[in-house]
Amino acid sequence: MAGVPVPGDKRVFMTGNEVVAYAAVAARADIMYGYPITPQNEVMHYWTRLAPKYEKRFLQTEDELSAGFTTIGGVMAGRKAFTATAGPGNVLMQEPMAMAEMMRLPVVVVIMQRGGPSTATVIYSQQEVILTTFGGNGEGFRIVYSTATHQELYDYTIKAFNTAWRYRFPVFLLADGYQAKMREPLTIYDPLERGIELIAPEAYLGRPGTPGVDRPPGHFRNTYSTEEELYEVLQGHVREYERIWREVEEYESLGTEDTDLLIIAHGVVARAAKQAVEYLRGEGLKVGYFRPVTLRPMPVDALREAVSRTKRFMVVESAYGQLSKLVRDALYGLAVEMVPLYKPGVGVTPEEIMARSRELIVKGES
Amino acid sequence: MKTKNGLTKIVIAGEGGQGVQAVAEILAEAAYEEGRQALYIPNFGVEQRGGVSVAFLQIGDRSIGAPKFETADIVVALSGRALLRTRQYVGPQTTLIYDDLAEVKDEEMPRQAAQILSIPAVETSKKELHPRVFNVMILGAVIAATGVVTLDDAKKALEIRLGHKFEQDPKLRELNYRALERGVELLEQVMRGGKEHSGALRAYH
Repeated sequence: MAGVPVPGDKRVFMTGNEVVAYAAVAARADIMYGYPITPQNEVMHYWTRLAPKYEKRFLQTEDELSAGFTTIGGVMAGRKAFTATAGPGNVLMQEPMAMAEMMRLPVVVVIMQRGGPSTATVIYSQQEVILTTFGGNGEGFRIVYSTATHQELYDYTIKAFNTAWRYRFPVFLLADGYQAKMREPLTIYDPLERGIELIAPEAYLGRPGTPGVDRPPGHFRNTYSTEEELYEVLQGHVREYERIWREVEEYESLGTEDTDLLIIAHGVVARAAKQAVEYLRGEGLKVGYFRPVTLRPMPVDALREAVSRTKRFMVVESAYGQLSKLVRDALYGLAVEMVPLYKPGVGVTPEEIMARSRELIVKGES
Repeated sequence: MKTKNGLTKIVIAGEGGQGVQAVAEILAEAAYEEGRQALYIPNFGVEQRGGVSVAFLQIGDRSIGAPKFETADIVVALSGRALLRTRQYVGPQTTLIYDDLAEVKDEEMPRQAAQILSIPAVETSKKELHPRVFNVMILGAVIAATGVVTLDDAKKALEIRLGHKFEQDPKLRELNYRALERGVELLEQVMRGGKEHSGALRAYH
């Protein structure tokens, strides 16, 4: 098969949507299915521009339901398939993704969060956290990476395909409109040249041999007749998800040992949080930073450890308490005060985080 | 012009079609080519044309944190509406540059700015150059105000972006370079004027 757009390492200055398209080619994805919605449109545009040069395919479907189900079809045919969507499109995408969860299908979905509820804005938010981690009628057996920089968008797009095909759970790359549309420098590379193994896809359907004679028959079901049968299958999913939890979870932290205030944020907001924490620490304040990279599974042990070493923690997000729900669930039983900094649908600056932190620390000392 | 972190924060706003996004992109591209850190993000909404277009740009030497910010070092507003939309980014350290044809009521002017400069950009581009290179003139003015990139690097970035057009019509290159230099001059003139008139100048007619 054809190679990658750029052999060797190359420093580039791109929008996030462009980064995802290049990374998908570098990950040797075979096909993208999609339906246009802002702010992810350019993932499709750049993919369709690159695809013919690298023997890759694209199918535009009639809506996101169809985009999700055709991605499932691609995966069952043994192709590395992915889709990208946002906002109301992400809502529709949950129906096929619940099926992928039920059938343990390694689909990859890129989400560029926009404002909600409903059409709201096409711009930016972190309001699709609960939807992306626990959307659908199911238990959230999925892996969600929340990226913060363009370098991570590139690295984690490549990783998403590997994680999906290694563990056979749907994998989401959760970014946002800011990351989609902004330009910043990053290094793109061929993962194979760096010695990163790319897990090969496998067909679910149409494998050679006679089912039941040469090989076990494939039962790929999303329908069960009895409660007990479903329960047994789900117990298998639970065991497998819990087994891989610690292998998959990822986080980033800074100065979390013995703090007066711990700031918890994810995605692009984590950039502002980290900047604020570095600044405040420079002033001699005992402030730490914790960022879950996987929102599902949540890095529970590390988070509990960091929180147990602080006097209080602040959850900062461009939503009204979605990350906070996941965090509080992970922290059950710990008696540490939580302070919210919620800005649903708008960006958060380092300045506001610093201002709120200073207030809290002064209050805490009095 | 740099803040204490060596980071310059710029907001450029104008009417749709005035080319403010291109100015920010070229500046970001030029800074990136110089090996500096740059982060550019446009505002984007459901409107494709009409309405105010705003570009946020940060240029520095260390990796850049959040894509948006509260207070800019430079705010460039090319219409009255653009000024109303962006005055929230003007703080006591901010230099505000606006086009002198922009209709702004006295009480709407963000007086907290460190410096308010008005330049006859729209008029100059119409009379002396060509409306098409209006935004390149603005690019020159921003470079003169901030020094975030050199004029040579801005020319290189223009070449990367418009080289194919320059090939077809070398006069176009000349026109763009002239616009760039004229933009620098406009700002330098008004800054010199500013010192003579001490502080906020020519701001309110």
